[in-house]
Amino acid sequence: MGIQFKQVNFSYTGMQKGYYEAIKDISLSIESKNEFITLVGQTGSGKSTLAQHMNALVFPTSGTLEIFGKKVTSKRDRHIKYNDIRQKVGLVFQFPEYQLFEETVEKDIMFGPLNFHKTEEEAKVLAKKALQMVGLNDNYLNRNPFNLSGGEKKRVSIAGILALDPEVLVLDEPTSGLDPKGKRQLMDLFKSIQEETGKSIIVITHDMDLVYEYAKRVLVLDKGNLVFDGSPEVLFRMNDLSKFHLDYPQTIRVLKGINERFNLSIDIYQKTVHDATAAIKRGLNS
Amino acid sequence: MKNIIIGQYIPGSGFLYKLDPRTKIISVIVLMVAVFLLKSIVQLSIAMGLAILILIAGKISIIRIFRGLKPIFVLLIFTFVFQIFFNKEGALWVDETMTIGFVSITSMVLWTIIWRMLAKFKKFKMILFILYIGGLYLIMKYITYGTIFTTWQFLVYEKGVEMSFFVVIRLLIIITLSTVLTLTTKPTDLTQGIEKLMRPLKVIGISSEDFALIISISLRYIPTILDEANKIMLAQASRGADFAEGKLKDKIKQIISLLVPMFIIAFKRSEDLADAMESRNFVPGRERTRIHDLKLGRLDLLTGLATVLLLAGSILVRIYL
Amino acid sequence: MGYLDIEHLYFQYSSKRMILKDINLSINQGEWIAILGHNGSGKSTLAKLIVGLLQPKEGRITVDGVDLLPENVYDIRKKIGIVFQNPDNQFVGVTVRDDIAFGMENLQVSKDDMLKKIDFYATKVGMQNFLDKEPSQLSGGQKQRIAIAGILAMQTDIIIFDEATSMLDPGSRAELMEYIKELHQEGLTIIMITHDIEEALYADKLVILKSGEIYQQGDIPTLLKHPEWFKEAYLELPTAIQIYYDLKQAGHDNQELEEYLWAFSSSK
Repeated sequence: MGIQFKQVNFSYTGMQKGYYEAIKDISLSIESKNEFITLVGQTGSGKSTLAQHMNALVFPTSGTLEIFGKKVTSKRDRHIKYNDIRQKVGLVFQFPEYQLFEETVEKDIMFGPLNFHKTEEEAKVLAKKALQMVGLNDNYLNRNPFNLSGGEKKRVSIAGILALDPEVLVLDEPTSGLDPKGKRQLMDLFKSIQEETGKSIIVITHDMDLVYEYAKRVLVLDKGNLVFDGSPEVLFRMNDLSKFHLDYPQTIRVLKGINERFNLSIDIYQKTVHDATAAIKRGLNS
Repeated sequence: MKNIIIGQYIPGSGFLYKLDPRTKIISVIVLMVAVFLLKSIVQLSIAMGLAILILIAGKISIIRIFRGLKPIFVLLIFTFVFQIFFNKEGALWVDETMTIGFVSITSMVLWTIIWRMLAKFKKFKMILFILYIGGLYLIMKYITYGTIFTTWQFLVYEKGVEMSFFVVIRLLIIITLSTVLTLTTKPTDLTQGIEKLMRPLKVIGISSEDFALIISISLRYIPTILDEANKIMLAQASRGADFAEGKLKDKIKQIISLLVPMFIIAFKRSEDLADAMESRNFVPGRERTRIHDLKLGRLDLLTGLATVLLLAGSILVRIYL
Repeated sequence: MGYLDIEHLYFQYSSKRMILKDINLSINQGEWIAILGHNGSGKSTLAKLIVGLLQPKEGRITVDGVDLLPENVYDIRKKIGIVFQNPDNQFVGVTVRDDIAFGMENLQVSKDDMLKKIDFYATKVGMQNFLDKEPSQLSGGQKQRIAIAGILAMQTDIIIFDEATSMLDPGSRAELMEYIKELHQEGLTIIMITHDIEEALYADKLVILKSGEIYQQGDIPTLLKHPEWFKEAYLELPTAIQIYYDLKQAGHDNQELEEYLWAFSSSK
């Protein structure tokens, strides 16, 4: 179960640019439980396209994709209800403005469950629960989603997907546009959702500090190719990340600088400021 | 969706590209009027020949024009068939007895199935369609055995044939002319041309500058809005609003879920855009210079002259022939 | 008196809470100042007030000794340009050339002059080969560079960047910052509105906004000496400075190391 990509390609045929390969020959397996994956790569590397394959919003041009036992290929199969896949794998888009449309937060969150044939009462219960999961209290239920702050809108849009109770949650650049505090709060939220429910979570981001601190597994896309699939520890120990157009996390950069400047051999692979400080102390004492 | 290019403009080097957009707009309108003055098929054929000459002189590939016809292909066929069947004037040209019986219906069904199976060869769509219609005709005419339910007379009159060709050729010329305009003129130049031509309307309080700016901003944002609409649709599909699989009952709600975000984003955008324009010193109604300055040249004069001559020609033809 | 002075500025949208309270700020020609604040601190509203897109409830803004009033906003805007957050919502032209021209057209620059300036400033932001491209063929970073070229062509003295990098990926962001740095070196006054401390570090002077008020302002090294101020204003310090304070708290005193960590952040 979970999501399996087998040599999946996807190409657009644009009107002027002609043929354009968004993702190339992707083979990849995502478990249905306990994953915390970050998907990284520069703009145009195919991250969003890959994410949209995960809940069958787009169909591969070639190759096969198996999502919770359902095969997705270039051809639509009339016997498969693709809509059901979207209940199993929830995808949150980057801008909450793309999905908020009802006059109250509650109604907006209920939209998903109702589409999946829940009764009005069931949907209400799910909405309340989803709102709690994203850290907003019941007072928000009757508020107008358009009057909320950017961060709150984002949370409501995530609740709109969580209310479907998906097994896998995919988030397309959820932290973009938020200030550093807001980013960290949101990542903490995903982490706690992951730990409490066991759902697999996949986050698209550009922020290597967040990748290093939170991810259990990193997928790196470069020009449509999956060039790395492994733990952040392994990724950031690689010598030349600029070939993937990626930076190193700040802690590593600072510690590396210290080593070079003072001719020390501190273990530079520290995820948090606290760990970095401890490592420096150890390095200085020895 | 990202690569949508505004308008049909395709860069080129023929003389049509060097003309002032105003000359082109006016010439196209005048020539269309001239075409409507023509009365007979011979006159129209000459006009068609002239239109093709313009294409050749302007180094425009006829295949491009042909491609531009695709969307209205159905309209052309319909016009043609309508005239052939319902115009009953003039001499009777064709009088065929058509048979509808068990065998012929079976054959027609089989023929249709074969045609649909071949439909995947999209390139030959038009040829296949013509073959299909021709096949139906032959089946009804010659398959006369087996149980016969009924027969009918396929009648074609002289005027019917003439009119069907007449209307279709006229439509072809008009489409060719307007395609030439949009193919060789950048959208910016086109709006600029319209703006200049509408300038006299200031007398009745319509600002042509504002109008042109509205058009060019709309042109600029069409690809963005389409791209956004696509993303909103995917975002709502992620919440189970499947526009392909849903029931009719849910459709209305789904359409609302698409339209509300589109409008809200559009409002936000227009606010942002107004701020951006204002901060770059745009003041509605205030005099501006333009990067696209239009200048009429000798070529424009010649084109104008030729257009006037053609119009005069068709007026004379109308009166004396 | 600076080149741009803001005195006792208040702003609120009708009947709502005060967005900005008693803002006092003075900016000299050639300075680079960063206005740093959390989401909702009122920093973008301040930017709109400076270019006259909003009217203050109280207080005054003067540019080059002239009061900013609705009557002379046209002349003030010849001196101040602004690049907004969303690259797509400020690209007015159908092509790159048209967009760079837009501001100049409004200033009634002659056509020949415009063509020269378009070439010059497009080259300046590395976009000289894109003049005939349409916005749908450009990346976010490229669109922002075009926005800069359009303002440069209007020859303003000040450019405000209102979270202009927040919708870009790290690569385009770094690229854009390099262009801005170059412009500053050529004497342009930069006002950078951001919530990213790393970006703010490029500036000569830092203004911290908190819930609509100027919470602190001063030069960067001075402000960084007070980590509590950043915490109070819901902001984060640069990683190297965080490590510095963490070490200090743990009772570690190593002059050289501290100096290094300090320099790590301000080497921009």
